[in-house]
Amino acid sequence: MVGFLWVPLLVMIVLSVSENPSTLVPFEGLTLDHMRAALADRSLLVATFRSVQIATIAAGIATVLGVPASIAIVRHQLPFEGAYRTGLILPMIVPGIVFGVGMLLFVRTVVPGLDTGVFAVILTHSVYGLPFVVLIVTARLYGFDETLEESARDLGAGPLSVFREITLPIIAPAVGAGFLFAWIRSFEDFIRAFFVRGTTDLLTTSMYSMIEYGAAPKMNAISTIILLVVAVALAIAMNVGAVTDLVAGTEAE
Amino acid sequence: MTGERSRTKLWRLLSTPHRSRWLSAGPAAVWLGLLLLAPLTYMVVVSFLSVSEETYQLVWSPTLEAYGSLFNADPVWTAPFVDALLISVFVAVVTTLLCLVTAFPVAYLLARREGRWVRVTFFLVLLPFFTMYLVRAYSWMLVFGKSGVLNTTLQALGLVGGPVGLFTFGLPAIIVGLTHAYFPYMLLSLYASLDGIDMDLVAVARDLGATRVAVVRDVLVPLTLPGMVSGGLFVFVPTLGAFVTPDILGAGKIQMIGNFIEGRILGAADLAAGSAAAMFIVVAIVLVFAVVIQVVDPEELGAV
Repeated sequence: MVGFLWVPLLVMIVLSVSENPSTLVPFEGLTLDHMRAALADRSLLVATFRSVQIATIAAGIATVLGVPASIAIVRHQLPFEGAYRTGLILPMIVPGIVFGVGMLLFVRTVVPGLDTGVFAVILTHSVYGLPFVVLIVTARLYGFDETLEESARDLGAGPLSVFREITLPIIAPAVGAGFLFAWIRSFEDFIRAFFVRGTTDLLTTSMYSMIEYGAAPKMNAISTIILLVVAVALAIAMNVGAVTDLVAGTEAE
Repeated sequence: MTGERSRTKLWRLLSTPHRSRWLSAGPAAVWLGLLLLAPLTYMVVVSFLSVSEETYQLVWSPTLEAYGSLFNADPVWTAPFVDALLISVFVAVVTTLLCLVTAFPVAYLLARREGRWVRVTFFLVLLPFFTMYLVRAYSWMLVFGKSGVLNTTLQALGLVGGPVGLFTFGLPAIIVGLTHAYFPYMLLSLYASLDGIDMDLVAVARDLGATRVAVVRDVLVPLTLPGMVSGGLFVFVPTLGAFVTPDILGAGKIQMIGNFIEGRILGAADLAAGSAAAMFIVVAIVLVFAVVIQVVDPEELGAV
């Protein structure tokens, strides 16, 4: 089964460095030309940089909103708490095409002065990232010894210093992981961005155009590069933190 | 009367002792309201409007025209939308079952074993999971197709005379691509649920004479039902609304709802019909959740 996950990716990796970029036979030797061509493509680099910026801002917003929301869920009695939690998970459940079309209609025809473009993508992705932050941070908060906060309060700390000195350091890894998840989701999202991007090209939408117009060699190369970057990042993350628990926690808490 | 009561209640809630909880819960609630609930509600409204044929602007008078246009064919099941809807449901059901059947043994092994190779397997499973969805769909495009890797390799080896139909673009390619895309979600869901099970139960059942099949049926399946259901939702829901995979691997021959909606919205600029079609995805998902909640305690689904 794990082989099934890997077969197409391995095919792609091999093709990305093959002279014959469309199929394995006849095999005509290895080359780095496609890699070089992909890395020399200026518009692709610009689109990638734009995707990085969008992901960073969107994940930042999701984190700034999601962390207090998580604290509210776990620490406070909220009216309509069930509805609130469901609402926070919803952006992850609503299919991308529904959310993308909804946002397109909304920014086009409802909000004056707002149209499709980078800003609309940032707004869309900031909502999309919320569930990932909330799921990871609430999981951490549930498994946290509340007496630490109580003792700090008993010793005279105010609510803000309790948060700064006790709560934040303990949940910091989860906040970081939540940010990272929201970042990845934004960076790799195609369908939502596709509808609200207007005429701006992001990494995923440029890649989609490459697929549509049959630029296989470049697409193989850029995809392989992404795979390598993800592999290195994941290997580091798995050795540093409990990625598996976090991921399993995200998907099925 | 109730308005009066709720107003005083609201006032009490907003006064000082509770301020911190409103400050922490409020911003995200406002954000969700403005950028998720408002757009989706607006979409429902648009689905009951029509689009002017001259200006492509929305006409603000309620009508069922958009819904009518989806079923505008005689007989009704030959309408492209009905076709897309049926194919989407079929593909989503098959993909979910395929993921469940293939992920269960892997998740079981991962939950029971420990050590180095479990970590390696996790790495190998998580890497495709973290890899861009678009890249994964695309990688299957290289494998399938008339001149794809599968067909050309089989022909070069002399195993087949011409391209094999099963390996060209179409329904099988889409199902394989989607299974590949959402397999990790199912795996992680099942793993989380199997990992929490006391494996002694399995040993005890075996000691008491239960066959392997009976252990799976009477012990493992009931205990992991919440995991199966939440995994199933994580596969079924996005599969139903898939766009990229059927777009790339269907080669224009197969249309799922996602492709139909995209065609209406971006191709034909018919915002009303696109919204109406999207409502069917929303309603289908609500129905699935309603059924699921009957079977499994929502608390056990965690995320849901």
